[in-house]
Amino acid sequence: MNWGWQYVWDYRLWFIRGFGYTILFTSVGVFFGTIIGLFLGLGQISQNKLARGFSKAYVDLFRGTPLMVQILIIHFGLLPPLFHLFGYQSTTPLISGFVALSLNSGAYVAEIFRAGILSIDKGQMEAARSLGLTRAQAMRFIILPQAFKRMIPPLGNEFIALLKDSSLLIVIAAQELTYAGQMTSKNTFAYLGPYFTVAAGYLMLTLIFSRGVSYLERKFSK
Amino acid sequence: MIQVTGLTKRYDDHEVLKDVHLSIAEKEVVCIIGPSGSGKSTLLRCLNRLEEFQSGHIMIQGEDIADPTIDINQVRTHVGMVFQHFNLFPHKTVLENITLAPIQVLKMSKEEAVAIAEKYLGKVGLLEKANAYPEDLSGGQKQRVAIARALAMQPKIMLFDEPTSALDPEMVKEVLDVMKELATEGMTMVVVTHEMGFAREVADRVVFIDQGVILEEETPAEFFLKPKHERLKSFLSKVL
Repeated sequence: MNWGWQYVWDYRLWFIRGFGYTILFTSVGVFFGTIIGLFLGLGQISQNKLARGFSKAYVDLFRGTPLMVQILIIHFGLLPPLFHLFGYQSTTPLISGFVALSLNSGAYVAEIFRAGILSIDKGQMEAARSLGLTRAQAMRFIILPQAFKRMIPPLGNEFIALLKDSSLLIVIAAQELTYAGQMTSKNTFAYLGPYFTVAAGYLMLTLIFSRGVSYLERKFSK
Repeated sequence: MIQVTGLTKRYDDHEVLKDVHLSIAEKEVVCIIGPSGSGKSTLLRCLNRLEEFQSGHIMIQGEDIADPTIDINQVRTHVGMVFQHFNLFPHKTVLENITLAPIQVLKMSKEEAVAIAEKYLGKVGLLEKANAYPEDLSGGQKQRVAIARALAMQPKIMLFDEPTSALDPEMVKEVLDVMKELATEGMTMVVVTHEMGFAREVADRVVFIDQGVILEEETPAEFFLKPKHERLKSFLSKVL
């Protein structure tokens, strides 16, 4: 069997760069996904019909279609005309990747926020409101801090899924980890070595990440 | 101080409160009693609009809270509420539970809020628990903290929604004692309760409500010794 470990070494810079990009894509997706998810999650339980309708439609759309299709639509269909509009040549795989992962994880995080908020006893909101706090203040000081604790495990799962799903960005030639493996294989006709290296890279990241999540869980489970 | 006129509250087709009229004067202590499902808690929760209602008016210190344009948060700063299940904020210490609203709503400085919190914690006898978390307190202590939390807003009116119903029997007294002291100091209080002893001893007036209608409204002496309504007679014969 042609493992091709030598080629992995030869192309090590691609793998290192890919590893870095995978971390970058995931971090940006987690960051903006959390912000988008917070607003959509609040939107879903809002008293405003418009906000509720929009949030529900958004979540349905992004959870009901494959991420790979979303990536293709965003990269080839939606972003190029938008970029032209503002006088830029076109989008790059990097930017499209940020946008696609953030928008997609926002939908999943919204569901986690919604469930987390609804899991808090309604007496908490009533007590806060009875003291004269506005709904927004009650959310901020009373509901969200408690909900957030309960959201840590599902958020951890979501972000591990996002890390692995970032490999789908290969369809727009974003230079993340899977892409490095594929390019090495194409050039050298060796498959096992490059793809095992890719797999090991993801495994390392997911293991570190899930350790981090368990640590946070313990820390906040007071 | 509180004037309820023609209050009607419906859940879908079910009328929980039917054309309720009630007026409560300053410094008066009114106990509301009645069988479960009678609408007594709903009535109380309408008084600070935790419960929306379909028709009628509720004047709180001259402001009609049925008016959707009034600042309900402003009204609520004058109306403290104590819940059956305490509803302390579990992620905050006792002191933080009490200082949160004075700081965020009344815009007090932290020092001011802490001073007031300590004053009321002292009043309910729990100053030494200032830095404890709610989970470390007994039920009776939790409810006393909840009372201190409401008092720290320096309200004109206090609403109590079955404040002792979720307590172990041996802790009921410590909470009732705090409430008695409040009543002696002249706080205007509306208390939904099953504690007939408290109603008899402390209330200026006792209100009996059944199926969303106020059937009787009397001084404790009249109420307990000479009940007029058949429904009240049978209720009292079961609970006394």
